[in-house]
Amino acid sequence: MRKLILSVFLLIFTLEMAPGQGLYSPGSPKDDGRFAASTKQVNQFFRRFNAEESVDGSQRYYNGDALFRDRELRGKFISILFDNETSGISNELKKEFMTEVLSEVMPQYINFHREGWFAEVQSIFTYRGKRENVTLFLKIQPEGLGYEWVIDKVVFQPFKEIFNKPQGESKGFLHPLSHELGFMNLRKAFQDSDTPEAFTPKEYQPDYLTLFLYEMKRGNIKFETIMDVKFHFFQINNWYFELNQFNRPGFNTGWLISNLVKLKPGDKETLLRYIYDQK
Amino acid sequence: MKKYISLFLLLFLATAAVSVAQSDNISPARKQAIDSLALEKVKDLSKYISIIGSKETQFSEANRVMDRAEELFAPGAEMGVSSLNRKEIAYYKVRRYFERLMALNYDRVNITWYDIHYISDLERQPDGRYVGVVTVYQRFEGTSLESGLNYRDTTKKDITIYVEKKQTQIAGRTIEFWDVMLGDIRVTETSA
Repeated sequence: MRKLILSVFLLIFTLEMAPGQGLYSPGSPKDDGRFAASTKQVNQFFRRFNAEESVDGSQRYYNGDALFRDRELRGKFISILFDNETSGISNELKKEFMTEVLSEVMPQYINFHREGWFAEVQSIFTYRGKRENVTLFLKIQPEGLGYEWVIDKVVFQPFKEIFNKPQGESKGFLHPLSHELGFMNLRKAFQDSDTPEAFTPKEYQPDYLTLFLYEMKRGNIKFETIMDVKFHFFQINNWYFELNQFNRPGFNTGWLISNLVKLKPGDKETLLRYIYDQK
Repeated sequence: MKKYISLFLLLFLATAAVSVAQSDNISPARKQAIDSLALEKVKDLSKYISIIGSKETQFSEANRVMDRAEELFAPGAEMGVSSLNRKEIAYYKVRRYFERLMALNYDRVNITWYDIHYISDLERQPDGRYVGVVTVYQRFEGTSLESGLNYRDTTKKDITIYVEKKQTQIAGRTIEFWDVMLGDIRVTETSA
């Protein structure tokens, strides 16, 4: 007991002897406004985009608060949510986007729990002893009493190289009367061909995620680390934007819109194919 | 000492709820109280880190402070560290991170914290606990007297907080209160 009291006393004594070193101590360095301006979390991007917090981020606005989703505040917030240094999004496009999002008749908001946004994670795994880049796509879904992020898709180059369905004349096939022979020619398909995927339907798509999990369970794939994260948003009608983190000097930093596209009918599907295939 | 005890009591009472039947949803007022409690834990951590890193702190003392700091965390919490030159995340158990901080090869180390923080919304996990993230910024200055070299960096620390409603019995009555534990921390070097 004495030892415990002595330990507690010593700890408090040490804390007293270290003034000006903790958060909000008298000696704290002052932010010159850069950290305040930075969109520090994806959560802050949501709140700023929707105007659900005060300008300095210290106060959360809820439904019923005077400035909750205030149109003027939103306009100011959204105008600082673009990457202005490297992305080259034209002012006309930004203006058009903001006009639609801030519409007085039908304003549009982004929602954390709603479908239409997902994460793209650049990661490193070792595959059979070799470091390999793996792109994981994660989405948020309801589960149990709350929500969770789940892996929705995976892009892994070694798998893509394995599945290379031949086209045209080079493509093997099972002739249309194979059934009369009791499909005895499957032997040729499976033993003499190194592209058995040639014998699959047109719509066949390899399920890379299942393969990936299988290889992981077999101990052939091991997680190493994460390299980068970005987000894709399709929640605003007829618009797509990409959210990236910018870590650089200045005031235009943090989670910012790095790519903005106005979508015509059919563009969303094309864009999704592009994102998922990394073409 | 009195100051710390009264602070503890104040925080405890601020987050205590007397009714067992209370809903599990977090009202804005409750969220604000939880934010304050979370920020107190982050403040404690910031102070502990400054002490552990300081070269004026004796080895035995630093170990004791590390024990206290570890108590702030949920089991298995990790630090994920990246720098401007090295984007990939290096993972350390919390204790290992503190030990590395203590063993840094500088004659003088000064760790201070910027006067700014950001607290996310609380989201509910599948197990019913709530999770949030507190962001703070730390300035590190290390001086090597022999070589005269100074190293300085600013890191952004995104700190996971787990919020859970707990119960305790006091004088035969069931008292509910919200408890906050720290979780994984993402440490990113900034260009500031």
